[in-house]
Parts: sequence; C-alpha cells; structure tokens
Amino acid sequence: MDRRTFFKVMGSAAAGVAAGSLARPGACSAQGVFDANEFFGILIDTTRCIGCRRCEKGCAEVNYLITPDISERANQAIFKKKRKTSVNEYTVTNLYETEKGKVYVPWRCMHCNQPACHSACPVYALEKRETGHVTWDKRCIGCRLCMMSCPYDIPKHTFQETIATIQKCNLCYGRFLQGTVPGCVESCPTEALMFGTRRKLIEEGKRRIAQNPGRYINHIYGEFEVGGTSHLYLSAVPFEQIGLRTDLGLKHYPEYSLVYLSAIPFIAGLTPIAMLAIAHVVKMAKKDAKEEHHEEEKEKH
Amino acid sequence: MNRKWIFFLVGIAYLILIVYGLYEVYTVEATLRVKEAPAIKPENKIAIAHTEIFGKLERPQVIFNHAKHEEVYKKEGCKTCHPEKESQTLFDFPKNIEKKDKTSVMNAYHDECIDCHKKRSGEKLKAGPVTCGDCHKEEEISSVLKYPVFEFDFYVHDKHVKKLKEKIGKDDCGLCHHSYDPEEEDEALRLVYEPGTEESCYYCHELGKKRGSELAAITRAAAKKGLSIRRASHLQCLNCHLKYKEEYLKKGDKEAVPTQCSKCHTGKYKTVAELEKVPRPDRDQKEKPFINIKDAKLKGVTFDHKYHETSSKTCRSCHHETLKACKECHDLVGKPEGNNINVARAYHDPFSEHSCEGCHNKKKSEKDCFGCHYNIGAMDVETMGPKKEACKICHSGEIKGSLSRPPLSIAKLDPEKVKKELKIKVLERQFEPAQFPHLDIIKKLVDISNKSKLANYFHKDMQTLCEGCHHQSRAEAEVQKDTPPYCRNCHAVAIDLQNLRKVRLLTAYHNQCMGCHDAMQLEKGSKLRSKEGDRCADCHKVKEKGPESITSLKNFPEDPWRSAWYGKMERQMEGN
Repeated sequence: MDRRTFFKVMGSAAAGVAAGSLARPGACSAQGVFDANEFFGILIDTTRCIGCRRCEKGCAEVNYLITPDISERANQAIFKKKRKTSVNEYTVTNLYETEKGKVYVPWRCMHCNQPACHSACPVYALEKRETGHVTWDKRCIGCRLCMMSCPYDIPKHTFQETIATIQKCNLCYGRFLQGTVPGCVESCPTEALMFGTRRKLIEEGKRRIAQNPGRYINHIYGEFEVGGTSHLYLSAVPFEQIGLRTDLGLKHYPEYSLVYLSAIPFIAGLTPIAMLAIAHVVKMAKKDAKEEHHEEEKEKH
Repeated sequence: MNRKWIFFLVGIAYLILIVYGLYEVYTVEATLRVKEAPAIKPENKIAIAHTEIFGKLERPQVIFNHAKHEEVYKKEGCKTCHPEKESQTLFDFPKNIEKKDKTSVMNAYHDECIDCHKKRSGEKLKAGPVTCGDCHKEEEISSVLKYPVFEFDFYVHDKHVKKLKEKIGKDDCGLCHHSYDPEEEDEALRLVYEPGTEESCYYCHELGKKRGSELAAITRAAAKKGLSIRRASHLQCLNCHLKYKEEYLKKGDKEAVPTQCSKCHTGKYKTVAELEKVPRPDRDQKEKPFINIKDAKLKGVTFDHKYHETSSKTCRSCHHETLKACKECHDLVGKPEGNNINVARAYHDPFSEHSCEGCHNKKKSEKDCFGCHYNIGAMDVETMGPKKEACKICHSGEIKGSLSRPPLSIAKLDPEKVKKELKIKVLERQFEPAQFPHLDIIKKLVDISNKSKLANYFHKDMQTLCEGCHHQSRAEAEVQKDTPPYCRNCHAVAIDLQNLRKVRLLTAYHNQCMGCHDAMQLEKGSKLRSKEGDRCADCHKVKEKGPESITSLKNFPEDPWRSAWYGKMERQMEGN
C-alpha cells in the first residue's frame, strides 16, 4: 500500500465516522436505521384505520400544505364524498360502505416499482429513487404527461400558479434522508400505516393474513399490481369495494410502450440506410442489365 | 373533365355510404330483454327442466302442478303415473325412459303427458293442455322454483321413534336404518339391518362427495342404483307415509302424516338451543369417554361426549364419515382410510369443521369471546408453540367424573394490586386523560366467562382472563412483583426505529381497546357508534388548547421549491 492509498482509506474511514449520520440512504442513514439498499414502502391495514384523518394533518405539517380541520364535525361532512388527492392534500382518507361495515381507506401515491409517470416525464422531473421513493422537483415544465399516464390519477397540477408544476406525495423523501418515518406514519394513532422495507412489509402482511384467518382477504394489494407498488394494502373486503382498482393488470406500465418506443431509434436510424442500400442494389442491377444488353447488342453486331 | 366528375361522384357516394353506415350502427335499438322473473312460491309445484340432460333449453321449463294432479287421481293412487316395484312406489316420472338422452327423455315426457290429456278429453273429462305453449309457458322461462332442504333433526327423529314404539311395542330401527355390505356375494343379503349400527343416511346416500375408500365402495353402489339422498329419502319416507296415511285419516288426524311437498319442505329449521332438550338416540356411546392414544406424546383426555351431543345439531358435525371413534381411522401417522390425516391433526386442525380446535375456534369468534380472542392466534399444533399449561387443560391424563370448574370470582383480587379505576395519560398532548374502569371490565369478562361452559372450563383461573389484555406480560409481572404489568414496560412512547413491527404505546392502547370494542360490538367507542357523534370523545375529551403540530420533526426550512432543497441536500451528502 503506498502513501496515497493509505491516506485515501484513512480519510474515507474518518469521514465515515464523522459523518456517520449524514451518509446516503441505501448505505447507512442518520441513525443507522434505514441501512437497506432496497425499496421502502408503507403497509396500509384498512382494518386498523379508524378514520381520524391524522395522517392528513401530519402530511400537511411536514410538507407545508394547508392544515386540514380534523375535528369530528368536519370529518362527518368530509366523508360524505369520495375525495381525490390534490396539490394541498397529498393523502386523503375516504369512507366506503362495504359488506363488513364502514372501512376507511387512506389514499395517496402508490410509488410503483416502475412508475408510469417517471417513464412519461420528458425532463426527468419525476424520479424513481433507489430507495423506492418517486419524487418530483423543479425541473417540471408542466406538460402534464404524468397526469395522463398515472393509472391511479395521483399527480396533480398547480393550476393557480403562473409556472405550473406537478405535486404529489413523495413518501417524505426529505424526512427519510434524515432517518425518520414519513409524517403520516408518525401521526397515525393506530399504526394502520407501517413504514419499512417493501420486502419486510410483504412478510408482515402475509403474517397478519396467516395469523388472523378470516379477517383479511388473502391478498396484499400492491404486491403484484402494476408490477408492484411501494404502498401495500390489506383489506377485509374485496379491494373493488374500497375503491382500489383491480383491473389494472400485473404488468408494469412502462412495459406497454417499451417495445414500441425502443424500436423508434432503430427504425428512424436504419430506414434511410436500408433505403439507400436497396436503391444501391437496384441501381447496380440495372447497370448490370444495361451492360449485358450492350454486350449482347455488340455481339449481334 | 369526365374523369374528374367520375372521381367526384365516387367520392360523394363513398362518403354517403360511411355516413349511412354510422347512422345505422348508432341507431340500433338495444335488444336486451331484461325481464324480472316472477318469483314462484313452491306450492307443491315441480319445475321440470332436466338441464343435466338438455343443457340449454329450447323451450321454457314446465312448472308442473303436482297438487292438481294428485287431487284428480285421488282414488286411483300414485300408480297412475309412478311405476311400482315390489309393493313400493318409485317416485319416477315418466314410467319408462329408454335411454337417458335428449330425444328419448323428451319423447317419454310428451307421450306420457299428452296421451293422458288426450284420453281424458276424449272421455269428456276435465283435461290438461296439449299444445306446446300451454305447458312451456314463456313467462316462466327464467323463474326459479326450489324447495328448501328438509332437516330430519333429532326432534323429528324422536317423534318417529316414539310413534313406532306405540305401534309395535318395541324399538325397531330397521324400518329406516340399514347397512350395506358390498363384499357380500349373495345380493339379497347385502342390504341388512344390524342393531347397533344405525348411522345417518347422508354417509352413504350423499353422492358426489369425496369419501374414504371404505365408504366410497358403498356410495358407488348407491350411485349405480341412482339412490341419491333426495331419491332415497323420498322413497323411504313417502312410501311409509302413504301406507299409514289412510289409517290416520280415519282417526281424523290430518296433520300427522304429511305427504305434500310443502308440508315437509317448510324452510324452517330448529336451532341448537331448541334441540338441546330433545333426547339423543342411544347407540351405546359412553357419557364421558377417556380418549387415550397409545404411544402418543401427550396424556389422555377426558371428553364430555354427552355435553357435545347437545351442543350440535347432528352427529355428522363431528363424525364426518362414520359413527366410529376418531382413532379408528386417524392413527399416529395417518392411514389411507383416514385420508392420511394423523390423529393430532384430526383433533387440532384449526380450520376443519370436524376437529375440536376448528369448532372451538368458531365458538371463540363469536361476539362475546372475540374481544380477547381476536388478538390471540389460533392454537395450531404445527405452526405455533402453545404454552404448555394450555395443553394440560385437556391433556390431564386423569379420568374425571365432572368436567366443570367452580366459577371465577373477583372477590379474591387484591384491591391494592388491581386498581378500580385508572387514568391513561399517554395522549396528554392533545387530549384529557382517559378514564379506564379497570375493575368493571374485569367484572364483565368474568360474567361472560362464567356463562359459557367452554369458557368456564378453559379459563382455569383469573390469570388466564388477565392475559386477554396483559398479553405476554406474565414473566415480567412476576419478576417485578411491586410494579403492575404496565403496557409501557414493553411499548415505547416513540416509534421504535430499530424494530418497526413493534407498536408504540399510543398504538398499543388504541389497537387493544378499540379492537376489543369493535370485536365485541360494544356501544361505546366501537365502529357501530361512528355513524354520528365523536368516537374519540367516548374515551377522552379533546383539550381546548392542543398542540399545533402532531408530528415530531419540523426541521425543514420553508421553501416553495422543496424539491430543489432536497436536491441541494443530496449533493451535500454526496460530497461527504
């Protein structure tokens, strides 16, 4: 080991110790908790949700949105209609009347494993991080292609602003970098929302299904839907009854356009060359034929 | 010039064609015929459809009024339409069907019905229709006519046994019960009655159900003769009823021997509680057998057979194939006649309807018990390691005379240790402390436990009841004798980032309390109440001055371009 490499190693080790709390996610994070280099997500157990809308308030607090009124009186009025996410509500809770009574369902960006919005975005404003978060930033040009591509109708447009951008839940990426759970998870009083790595959450979901026979539908919504999502749902009633779409298929969305789009460069690039080649061959053939003709005529003469 | 005109005209014609086509497509009337089918009450009528032979019907089904025909042929009797064999009426119609295929079945029906109707109209008697549409009525095309299954419960059974004894002066079960030996060579000797082998009709005559090898041979023979449970029971019951009907009619007792469809198929069923006082048939079964399997790991079990007889409707709910003891088919490793299910699984399968565990689990998921038991996993011998004391409750190894315990009481509880009322202050940031009536809850649980015999036996002491809420806390509580088993001993206040699966204190309280209230369907604090009114206020009042934020971290600077900020932060970290 020469001098240079020695200092390099020592330096990086010292920096590692000093900045142990500031390392990147995926390697090691603030409190050394989220050290897994894999997708994170939230398991939503709809049998545990009591419809207190504290997740909405927590979300608004950490994301600087308009703080919602979560008193019981306001809740009663709000649960009368089915809401969708908006630029001021990254997460909404809806009430569904089902065969097993009232079920409250928190609803937000699903953070697909292969997001359609990311693949549709022309400027990479929407990104799929290696920790599973689908984040958005100021590169957005307001083209709204992501709104069209999203199967869950999640990204919302700030129409009231001059330079309109897209906004949606980003699974509290900033808090994650600091080594904390998302705001909604922290504010949930019944831990109907559980944060963790996607693999562990699926394990936990399967454990809950197995240990409480008859309590859940034997399926975790989001395990395979649209190629897998980071938000996973457990439910006691069929998922259609609580407003989750089951007609989306198991293919991830970018796959539908993958073959077509990846063929374009080849076709666009190769077509002129192929045409030229054909033209050349035809020309050559014509030339040959002419020459032969000439020769024949010459022989005749 | 001419050519241009031709092109123009062809273009116009093409356009008109397209517009016409579109017009045609969009103006087609929806031809869906959705008509509400008239609900037919099964007033002794029979729906003739035979979809198993005909498949999709060309003509509507025939709703046959059996009562009307019965009235007309009162004197001649059943043999006018139904064939007879060995002095028994076979309730088949038509009398002779050559083959069981479409044309022959159709012809047989048409011949029999129309011939008779024609004959009667020739004799100038009141006769039925002969044209197609009068029987195959268009309005009955999709109506459903189905009789509810008749349940020959122990009340009816007991009635029959008593009547029979009145008539012939002794018990003769052979009138209905028989056993079949498919290995006997002489065909006449196959169907015999042996006293003491009476079993349910369903064992042999319920076709199309998967059976063990022994019973499968018998059901196959029954299937060959076409003796499904439906046909067999009609043959057996109706022939006997027709025989005795005259006699009872002379006595003036019209209701005693029913022969009409709707008299038996009432759709009313007796509950277990109603059948509790009815004596069960005696087949030399022991009152409290001691179940002991040779070479088994655990000790034997004293089983209260008599109590379990009255707590279910039929013998079949446990003895699913024969009335033999469980261990005759299920041994320690599993025999082929027991479907390779070993004896441990036969008794402990948590999902089976015939196992002890399965039935007890079903009971535990009832309203009163579910408050605690929804949180306690099913005791599955294979996947979960149950506590040893729990096994000992059944596997005592003692031959007991009585299987009931003295009822639990709260009199012995130490008021120092077991507080009457508690104040839970976890949510003090936003709410007033919650009042928790500790002793009242214990009282109610004790009451529920004492009411049920199952609970009374399995909740052997007060400690068991406490574990409903204070789960997994026993060891800690015993070590520190002075401190009560607080929830906070295990559940931390903040989210445990090391172990995300472990719930925090706030969640522990909410899930435990609200889960129980929901499961027991209590009026206070459960989902039931959430229709209106403040569900939170059932337990704790909202403080007038609550905190502004409910999340712990608010470290991020306020910035309209949050994402830009994120980017900056990332770059900083990458620099490190």
